[in-house]
Amino acid sequence: MRVLTFGWDYPPIKNGGLGVACHGLTEELLELGLDIVFVLPREQPIIGNQKFIFANKTPATIHVFPSALLPYQHAQSYVEYFTEDGKRIRFSRRIIDEVYRYADSAYDIALREQFDLIHAHDWTSYLAGVAAKLATGKPLVLHVHATAFDQAGSNNVDPDIYAVERRAFHNADSIVAISNYTKGIVVDKYGVNPDKVSVIHNGIKPYSPPLLPSVLYELKAQGKKIVFYNGRITIQKGVDYFVRAARRVVDTDPQVIFVISGWGDMEHQIMHLVGELGLSQHVIFAGALWDEERDRMYQVADLLVMPSVSEPFGLVPLEAIQHGTPVLISKQSGVAEVLTHALKVDFWDTEEMANKILSALRYKVMNRQLVEEGRKELSRITWRRAAEKVLALYKKLLDFVHKER
Amino acid sequence: MLTVCPYFHVHQPHRIKRYRVFDIGNDAEYFNAEDNTDLNNARVLRKVAEKSYLPTTAILGELLAKHPEFRFALSFSGTVLDQFEAYMPEVLHAFQDLVHTGRVEILADTYYHSLAFFYSRPEFERQVTLHQKRIQELFEYTPKVFRNTELSYTNSLAKWCEDNGYTGIMAEGWDPILGWRSPNYVYQPTGCSSIKVLLKNYKLSDDIAFRFGNKNWESWPLNADTYAQWIHAHHGDGETINLFMDFETFGEHQWDDTGIFDFLRALPEKILAHGDTSFKTPSETIASYDSVGEIDVPHILTWADTDRDLTAWVGNDIQRDAITTIYRMENDVINTDDASLIETWRRLQTSDHFYYMCTKWFSDGDVHAYFSPYESPYDAYIAFMNALSDLQLRVHDALQKKETQIPIAKSFWSRVWNVIRTLIQKLFDVLPFRHKRIRSRVI
Repeated sequence: MRVLTFGWDYPPIKNGGLGVACHGLTEELLELGLDIVFVLPREQPIIGNQKFIFANKTPATIHVFPSALLPYQHAQSYVEYFTEDGKRIRFSRRIIDEVYRYADSAYDIALREQFDLIHAHDWTSYLAGVAAKLATGKPLVLHVHATAFDQAGSNNVDPDIYAVERRAFHNADSIVAISNYTKGIVVDKYGVNPDKVSVIHNGIKPYSPPLLPSVLYELKAQGKKIVFYNGRITIQKGVDYFVRAARRVVDTDPQVIFVISGWGDMEHQIMHLVGELGLSQHVIFAGALWDEERDRMYQVADLLVMPSVSEPFGLVPLEAIQHGTPVLISKQSGVAEVLTHALKVDFWDTEEMANKILSALRYKVMNRQLVEEGRKELSRITWRRAAEKVLALYKKLLDFVHKER
Repeated sequence: MLTVCPYFHVHQPHRIKRYRVFDIGNDAEYFNAEDNTDLNNARVLRKVAEKSYLPTTAILGELLAKHPEFRFALSFSGTVLDQFEAYMPEVLHAFQDLVHTGRVEILADTYYHSLAFFYSRPEFERQVTLHQKRIQELFEYTPKVFRNTELSYTNSLAKWCEDNGYTGIMAEGWDPILGWRSPNYVYQPTGCSSIKVLLKNYKLSDDIAFRFGNKNWESWPLNADTYAQWIHAHHGDGETINLFMDFETFGEHQWDDTGIFDFLRALPEKILAHGDTSFKTPSETIASYDSVGEIDVPHILTWADTDRDLTAWVGNDIQRDAITTIYRMENDVINTDDASLIETWRRLQTSDHFYYMCTKWFSDGDVHAYFSPYESPYDAYIAFMNALSDLQLRVHDALQKKETQIPIAKSFWSRVWNVIRTLIQKLFDVLPFRHKRIRSRVI
C-alpha cells in the first residue's frame, strides 16, 4: 500500500507539534510496511527512509516573522523568503496564497506519482490533499491536529482558514481527529457526520532521559519551588489564566516561582499582566527553550502546567512526565483523555488551578505517584498504537472503495 | 432443612467538599458542601432515601407482616444514622419499625465505617463501643454478631470478637480460603473456641447485588422463581445461604426500572414455597448449626473486587499516605479532649475517603466499577489532605492552649504548696519536739 502524504513541515526543522506528530506517525507506518511519499511545500533537510517530494524546488531557506513559522497563523499573515546567503527573494506572500500554490503543485505531483490513497495533515495541507483527490480520484484522509477554533480560543475564527477546513472536510472520505475533544469540534462546528471521523490519539516516542545538570540552582537552594509553563504564548494556550492562578498561589506560598517558556503574539500582554498583578518577583520569562535547555527546565521544575483554552492533544505534559515532573493539565485538552495520572482543571477555574498547584507542591507522595504511574501510562500512549489504527483505517477505506467499484 | 440468612448493610459517609489549600486554617467545616454535586451529603442522602431507603423499608415491612417466617439482619454505620437524624428522620423511623418486629437483627460494627482494626486497636475498640451505644439508644438492641467495615476479616479480628462476647462474625466465602468446602455451612475461626463465622455466598449474593440489572448477563432478566430454584438447589449440600449485600442494592445500585423491587417483593414467598426452606437471622443461624470445620484467614479478607483484599482502599501510595497520616495523629487528637475535633478526625477515618483515591481501575479502564463523587482520585486525595492539614492545625492549637493552661495550674498549686511548706516549717520551729528525721521527710 502506497500513501501520498501531504504535510507542512517536518523535523529536523523545529516548528512545534505538527512536524513532530507527522514524523512520529510516519516512522511507525513505515515500520508496519507501508510505502509513504511525503510531500512538503518547501525543500528542507530530511530524516527517515521515506521518499520526500518538495513542492517548491526553489533552493531557498524559509525565514519568517518569528511566530509565522507555525502553520496556525492567520491566513493573511505574511511570510518572507530568503536565499541561503540571506538575500530576500520574494516579499510578503500570504499563507493563504502559499496554501493555494501548494495545492496547485499537489495536483501535478499526484498525476506523476503512483499511490493508493492520500493523507493530508492540517489545514495548510488540506487543499493539497483535495487537489490530489481531484486529480486521481483516490480516497482522501484528512488528519486534524488542530482547527481554527483551537487557534482562536473562541468562536472568533479566521474566516479563510475556516472556509478551507470546511470545504476540505466535506471533500474527504475519512477524517482522523487526534482526540475526542477535536472530533467534537469537527462535528459541532463544521457540520461533519460523526461517523466519518475516527479518533486516533497521538503518541509519544518512548524515551528515558538522562539526568541533566540542574538549572536555577540559586532559586532551588533558597527552597523555591518551580512551576513551569512551556508552549506558545497565544490566546489558545491560556497563559493569562496561568498568571492569574500564580497570583493566588503566591498569596498563599511566596516561595513559588513560575517559569514561562515560549513566545507568541500574547507575550507583551502577559508581561503587562505580570506587572499589573505585582508578580515580577515570581515570574521568569525564559524565552523559547529547545532541546537540552528545555529538558533541564522540565527536570528542575516541581510541576508543569498546561492551562490551554483549547488543546487538540498536548505533547508537552507527556514530555514533562518522561522527565519526572508531574503535570496539571486543562480538561479542555485531548491528552486529558489518555492521561489519567495527571491533575486536571478547567482552564477558566483559576482558583482550582491555584489549589492544585499548591497541593502538588505540598504533597510529595502524590507528586511521586503521579510521575511513577504516569510513566507507566506513557508506555501505552505510543505512535505504534496510533499507526496501527491509521493502517486499519486505510484498509477499511480501500476495501470500501474497491467494493464500490 | 435449609435456611436463608439475608443481611443488608446501610451506610453513607460524610463526603469531604472540595476543600482547597487556601481553606486550611480558615474553614473548619469539611463536610458541608451545598452544591449540586454528589459531595453534598444532605442531597445524596435525600436522593438515596427516595430511591432506596423509603421504598425498600416499606417493602420489607410488608414482607414481615405477610410472612411470619421472614427474617433478616441489618447493619448500620453510625455515620448514616447521624445523617438520617439530621436530614431525614422518617428513614430512621422506618428502620426502627422494622427492628421492632423482633425479626430483624442488628449487627455490631465500627461507628465510623473505618479500617481502625488494622491501624489502631484502641481506636477500633472505642468506635465499636460508640456504635453499640448508638444502636442501643436508637433501637434498644445490643448486637451479638459482628461485621467489620467492607466485610474485612482476619483470624485476629475473630479472636477479638470472641474475647469481647460476640457469638458470631461475618466474612466473605472466598474460594481460596474455603478450598473444596462450601460457604453454606457454619464454621469456626482459627484460634477461637466458641465464636462462629458466617460466610457470604458471593455467587448468589452478587447475582442480586451486581448482576441483577445487567442485560448482558446470561440469566437476565432474573425473576424470583428462578432465583428461589437456585437456592433450593442447595438442599442437601448446605444448611444456610448467607446473602450479604448493600441495602442500597434495592433502588440505588439496581434501579427501580430493573424490576428489583418486584423481585424483592416476590422472593420470600418463592423461597418459602419449598416446604423445607426458611429464613433465619445471623444469631439464629449460629445457634441452630454446629461448626463443620475451621476457617483460617491469616491475611486480610474483604468483599471487594476480584482480589478480596484491602487494595481498593490502601493499594496505592496516596491512599497509604492518607490513612497512615490520619492514624499518626491519634494521640494528639485524643489528648485534646475536644469532642468536636475527635469527631471530625473520626469522620475522616471512614473507608470511603480512601476508596475514592483508588487508581486500580485506571489500568483496566473499568471506570464505572468504582463509584466516586470526585472527578479523579487525585481530587479526592487533595480534598482529604487539605482537610486533614486544617485538622492538624486545629489539633496543634488545641494542644498548645491546653499546655499553656497547665503552667498556670502548676504555678498556682506550687504557690499553695510553698505556703503550706512554710507553715509546716514554722510549725516545726514552734513545736517542742524538733525531730530532724521527721522534718527532713516532710520537706
